Amino acid sequence: MRQNRVIGMAGAGGDGIVAAGEALIHAAARQGYYAVMTKSFGSQIRGGESSCRVRLSTSPVHCSGGVLDIAVALSWDDFLKFGAELPVGGATVVVYDTASGVLPEVVPLVGVRPAEVISAPITDLAMEAAGSERAKNTVVLGMLARWLGLEAGTLLQGIRHRLERKGLEVVAAAERAFGSGLAYAAEHPLALAQTLTSPQPGAPPKILADGNTMCAAAALFAGCRFFGGYPITPSSEIMQVLSREIWKYGGALLQAEDEIAGVAAAVGASFAGSKAMTATSGPGMSLKTEILGLASIAELPLVIVNVQRGGPSTGMPTKSEQSDLFQAVFSAHGDVVRPVLAPTGVGDTFATTVEAFNLAERYQTPVIILSDQEIAQRKESLDRFEVADLRVEERQLPSAADLERYARFRLTDSGVSALSHPGLEGGTYLASGIEHLEDGSPTASGEAHLRMNEKRFRKLRPLQRRRDLFRVEGDADAPLALLSWGSTAGICREALELARADGLRAKLLIPILLFPVAEAIYREFFASVKAGLVVEQSHQGQLYRILRMYLDLPAGVRMLARSGANPFLPAEVAGRLHECAADLRQRTAPALQPQE
Amino acid sequence: MSPTPHTSATTHAKQFRSDRKPIWCPGCGDYGVVQALARALAAIGRPPHEIAFVSGIGCSSRIPGYTTAYGFNSVHGRALPIALGIKMANPELLVLVAGGDGDGFSIGGGHLAHTARRNPDLTYLVMDNQIYGLTKGQLSPTSPQGLRTATSSYGSLERPINPLLMMLAFGTGFVAQGTPADMAGLAQLIEAGIRYPGFAFINVESPCVTFGEPDRQLKDHKARMQPLEAAGHDPSDRLRAMARAQEYGGTLWTGVLFRDPEPPPTYDAAVRERQETLAADALPRDRILDLFELGSGG
Repeated sequence: MRQNRVIGMAGAGGDGIVAAGEALIHAAARQGYYAVMTKSFGSQIRGGESSCRVRLSTSPVHCSGGVLDIAVALSWDDFLKFGAELPVGGATVVVYDTASGVLPEVVPLVGVRPAEVISAPITDLAMEAAGSERAKNTVVLGMLARWLGLEAGTLLQGIRHRLERKGLEVVAAAERAFGSGLAYAAEHPLALAQTLTSPQPGAPPKILADGNTMCAAAALFAGCRFFGGYPITPSSEIMQVLSREIWKYGGALLQAEDEIAGVAAAVGASFAGSKAMTATSGPGMSLKTEILGLASIAELPLVIVNVQRGGPSTGMPTKSEQSDLFQAVFSAHGDVVRPVLAPTGVGDTFATTVEAFNLAERYQTPVIILSDQEIAQRKESLDRFEVADLRVEERQLPSAADLERYARFRLTDSGVSALSHPGLEGGTYLASGIEHLEDGSPTASGEAHLRMNEKRFRKLRPLQRRRDLFRVEGDADAPLALLSWGSTAGICREALELARADGLRAKLLIPILLFPVAEAIYREFFASVKAGLVVEQSHQGQLYRILRMYLDLPAGVRMLARSGANPFLPAEVAGRLHECAADLRQRTAPALQPQE
Repeated sequence: MSPTPHTSATTHAKQFRSDRKPIWCPGCGDYGVVQALARALAAIGRPPHEIAFVSGIGCSSRIPGYTTAYGFNSVHGRALPIALGIKMANPELLVLVAGGDGDGFSIGGGHLAHTARRNPDLTYLVMDNQIYGLTKGQLSPTSPQGLRTATSSYGSLERPINPLLMMLAFGTGFVAQGTPADMAGLAQLIEAGIRYPGFAFINVESPCVTFGEPDRQLKDHKARMQPLEAAGHDPSDRLRAMARAQEYGGTLWTGVLFRDPEPPPTYDAAVRERQETLAADALPRDRILDLFELGSGG
């Protein structure tokens, strides 16, 4: 019995590969399994190749897993286009459609001999059972249900629900196709059994969510009442969900004429007293940059989500990458600092988003949430968690005393000054992108500029002490370390488990707060560290380089950085950590070995 | 010249003027605009704290700071979307927008059509001086063709934008033109624009005393301006308004070119209505994760 299985499927656009994956994760969630599903497409709008990976587990999962346990190729051409996104290894069971005409001995996999190769008559079974090739995905679902030991009834219920509106005939045909898949798998048991252990009885009920929808839900929870944005992959679902929901909460949504107008309207709404947000991806983020600077100098709360994709320019809109950290930290001209937060999975996207709103309101500043395509668009089955305990903060309005001689930008010890808004009597002021005096009057005084810059940096200083925005796992005094962020952090959590299971003493630091750099927290973490890796999905290793601006990292800490699309595999990262350990042993070995 | 007699209206108008000293050159048309605006606001009668006044960048965009309203002197070209966000967040506010011809028709030109088609209840004043003044005399989108400026050394190769025709074509419900040479008339136009329930555009020919053409100053305006009303113009007819608008750059028409006789519903009213319709469907905050409850689907 298996506690964890990864299934990868690929086919042509009309093959219903993603629908099959959706059916699988939905049924698994209802049965109480933890699960992750990612989908990947070619760049075509319709047609072309499509694929999905579904990982099922009896314990919580932090990434979409490593090498596939079961690979399903409806067409080899389509399967191979996904390369390392659907990695096949020596323990993989490969199932493909006999109709492809390929013999099992010569499947087009280079440099790997899978554990088992099954040529299954998927098209024939679909034609026989349903009279249509379109039922191929349902045949595959039947096979997987049997081989994985999932409840056929739960899957069938989902299939029925999905097809209901297409009429009884279609439902009956799908049921036959599912049944023929089940029967085929029963007659062809796998040599390498893939049956999953049943979920723990009484396991908490699961919810099924993607990162973008989770972000939208958290925004509503945090009190976001205005969204301004422009459609862009892979962030659009945030706007789509809010376009359905935000009105119900007395909020409003603007699909603006461009990315700049979207964020400008959000800044306007914030000036008017509403919690406001925008969401975008790389190219949109570039366009919004000037307004980002405006929100900083006008000290207006604003949450900006950047769901990262491969860049620069149009880059790879449907693929994940972590290459916008420099932009998040350093963009907008002038001396400017803004908090940058990164969630690591679908679940913690909720708390991270709420925190972003809290920081924005408390410090009257734009806050960037750096999500990435992987966590934003993947679906997870996870335990339903309690949200009622999460704190929600409101901006500091002027008190009666403040209003007696109101100065919007008063130089306070904390750097935070009370924020009025239109409608509030006695609180009128001039907000501006031009440097200003305490009362908001424009100024060209160097002295005033110096003091205001100090104020805008000073107010964010307490972030240096926010230990709760860092997660540490593993052996506290370990000499080996991993450090990672965003979706790659989930991969490193599993890599750490693998490495420790192999006997390495190691630990992992995951910053949710990427900037400003909380120097003391890193120093404390690295105190015991002799060697390690900063793991991230970018060519430059952007977090590694930013950390080196602020800290002296231990000599043995290097970067493990790779461009996007192909995620790291947990075993790959664990392997690299073993190499670090070996290097370390060599470095610290005495010059002369003692005699035996 | 005898001082203007203190009427109750002008005393009241002072309430809307801040004590900041304008950066404008002596003789700049914008002094008259802020004065006319203050008079219009006095006539409207809303207190300053219920007014949000947004601008972009340029000489004229300094204007919110010279009033006692909530001001937002933002970045170049983005005053309209910022104002839209304000109005959507709080439709109760009186929201004014102002800027120059460069700010509105050039760097921010992309927002005009979209603001007009959405029809939020905003009043937009453009102080059109056909030149970039703050940056010291470069070509603007309304500079006449052939004009020699700091960046068109041999004369401009471009035809100017016609802001009146453009805004009428975009479907703007209220389009007017004024000049500070006729302060009383300008104040009335601004008041009418604010009272119009929807997006109102007022092009104010406000000459640049330093970099503008010497024969296009206030004195010249006074001599040239032609009140539309006196010409028997019917402001309820968009096509006739467009015919008059063709004369932009030639005849200096002042007054209301077009006022939609049947103003369509405003964007902010539609926003409010949608919020009210859907309010009952909101999940209690602590149950927000119900969005992810597993239905029977798959």
